[in-house]
Amino acid sequence: MNRTLSCLAAGMLVLSTAAADAEDLTAEELVSGALDLMRGATSHVELTMKIKRPDWERSTSVVSWSQGREDTLIRFTAPAKDAGNALLKVGDNMWTYTPRLNRTIRLPYSMRAQSWGGSDFSYNDLSRSDQVLRHYDLAILDKRQDGEHTIYTIEAVPHENAPVVWGKEIWVLRDDYVMLEQVFYDQLQVALKRMTTLEIGSMGGRTLATRMRMERLDESDHWTEVVTDSAEFDIELPERMFTLFTLKEAT
Amino acid sequence: MKLTLLVQLSWRNLWRHRRRTVILLTTICFAVGSVLVFNALLRGMQVSMAETAIDNLNGHFKVLAPGYLDDPGIEKSFEFEPIGRPELAGDAIQGWAPRVRVPAVIRSERETRGVQFVGVVPGSEEISFLGDVAIDGEYLSGPDDRRILVGQALAQQLETGVGRRVVLITQGVDGGNRESGYRIAGVYDAVGEGIEKAFVFTGLATVQELLSVDAVTEVSVRLAEDDQNPSVLNSLTSTFSDLDVRTWQDLEPQAAMMYEMADTTVAIWFLIVMGALIFGIVNTLVTAVMERVRELGMLRAIGMRRGAVIAQVVIESMLTMTIGISIGVVLGTLSYLWLADGIDLSAFAEGLEMTGVKPELVPRLWARDVFLVVGLSLVLGILASIYPAQRAVKVQPLDAMRG
Repeated sequence: MNRTLSCLAAGMLVLSTAAADAEDLTAEELVSGALDLMRGATSHVELTMKIKRPDWERSTSVVSWSQGREDTLIRFTAPAKDAGNALLKVGDNMWTYTPRLNRTIRLPYSMRAQSWGGSDFSYNDLSRSDQVLRHYDLAILDKRQDGEHTIYTIEAVPHENAPVVWGKEIWVLRDDYVMLEQVFYDQLQVALKRMTTLEIGSMGGRTLATRMRMERLDESDHWTEVVTDSAEFDIELPERMFTLFTLKEAT
Repeated sequence: MKLTLLVQLSWRNLWRHRRRTVILLTTICFAVGSVLVFNALLRGMQVSMAETAIDNLNGHFKVLAPGYLDDPGIEKSFEFEPIGRPELAGDAIQGWAPRVRVPAVIRSERETRGVQFVGVVPGSEEISFLGDVAIDGEYLSGPDDRRILVGQALAQQLETGVGRRVVLITQGVDGGNRESGYRIAGVYDAVGEGIEKAFVFTGLATVQELLSVDAVTEVSVRLAEDDQNPSVLNSLTSTFSDLDVRTWQDLEPQAAMMYEMADTTVAIWFLIVMGALIFGIVNTLVTAVMERVRELGMLRAIGMRRGAVIAQVVIESMLTMTIGISIGVVLGTLSYLWLADGIDLSAFAEGLEMTGVKPELVPRLWARDVFLVVGLSLVLGILASIYPAQRAVKVQPLDAMRG
């Protein structure tokens, strides 16, 4: 469930370090390895988000900063209509800021299943970090060789009392921790949402997914694509980066 | 003059104009019968409304922490030892149910809704609608059952069902969020979609564990009899002196108001029907008196007293009323018995849900009400005979016999 945080917020930083010996990787190691690598870093990422609906589509520009596994700041920069709309996540709390209303709103849990910025991501998608390790049982379903990489298919089934609504998730990970695909199933094992990596590139010194698409499987022509335009990792961030004050500040 | 003779006279007068009397009797029959049936229907509605209000987790009385009603939350809770049964008059209490009720958010794969998350002791809930509600799936097995019960309407909104998992999110005492996944044990079908969408049930200990508390937020008390005994309220108030003891009327002011209104409606209906009837009786009696001017004059002339003349008219009115009321009560009771199995109102179910009336209306005919209607009708019969009697007394023997 770290999916979007890792992709959008934490900045899709997946290390291009030489993958560990492919033979030895367990599901937990794959997932936690990827998570651990992402957590330790700070990031600054610029993204283009394209939202597609059957009768319209639009494109927005987003910039995001992250620190550790809990703190994230995301801000729209274009088009002018959306510019300045921002989202801050610190620990378990989330706030949104709308410059036109000059209002900061602390997001209640009841609203976190709603779509973020009209996209196919919900606030929940942005707020989960290490949930996968805590609340799911992981198992490698399949392992195959694709050129120089080993591709793992991992099944993540939530624990009985986990605060997770999905029936299961299927992750497809490459041995260098690049996520290729993530599918969300309901409890009748019907696939509802799928995130697919469309392009893999090198950025900020790392190999990472540079174009990803989240699509609704129960409705056609219903997807959101995220393209990474630039990324920097392990940079110095000002201390007040993740505060309500910065949230309102159009930088 | 002997009373029997007067009664005999009145009785004969009554049957001089057989058709007129029969018509009057029929009118009285229908009036009394319809009042009784209408009364039984309204009483049925009243009882149903009160039962629904009491069943809907209120009980006759509810013990709450002060301030809970204004701002419900787990911080407004109190310790309750089920063993510490309040010393109450005999068997006045049928049962009581401790609960933890907190506002929460429920999430399925597709939807999110706001609900009341209620932790119950399943065995104690026979005092509420949960005790006999239709459940698809299973009922909770005990206070530490970790599964939940959701309403049918809510399950439809969430696109979920028995055996599937949902997530509930609420606030702990510290204000922090508490969330956990729960499997649905059963889907209940309550009276009213409002209830089904509002309440999600699980074991008491399960909610206490989620919120890390030992306390409860409410204790519902149900009495063995519907008549609220003020001594029980006093006893509860002194047992839970630092807590808030409320009656169901406090908790469901709308239902309580409708309940009161039913009484007024019965009275208004009675006055309208009987009021119209009085004019019929007055008219008939006056006609009868006017027809007998000569005869009355003669009677006065040969020495009948004024009192006896008045008594004659009053007795005539009372005889008519007694016969009419008797047949009317029989008719009303028969109609009531015919309807006693309940009237299916499911065609109007949506409108009724608002008022909390169950879709099947079972009329109630209380002896108290029958006596009241009979008594009031007789009084009205006497009142109706005053004016005709005056007319009869005013008859001057000389004028009457000359005319």
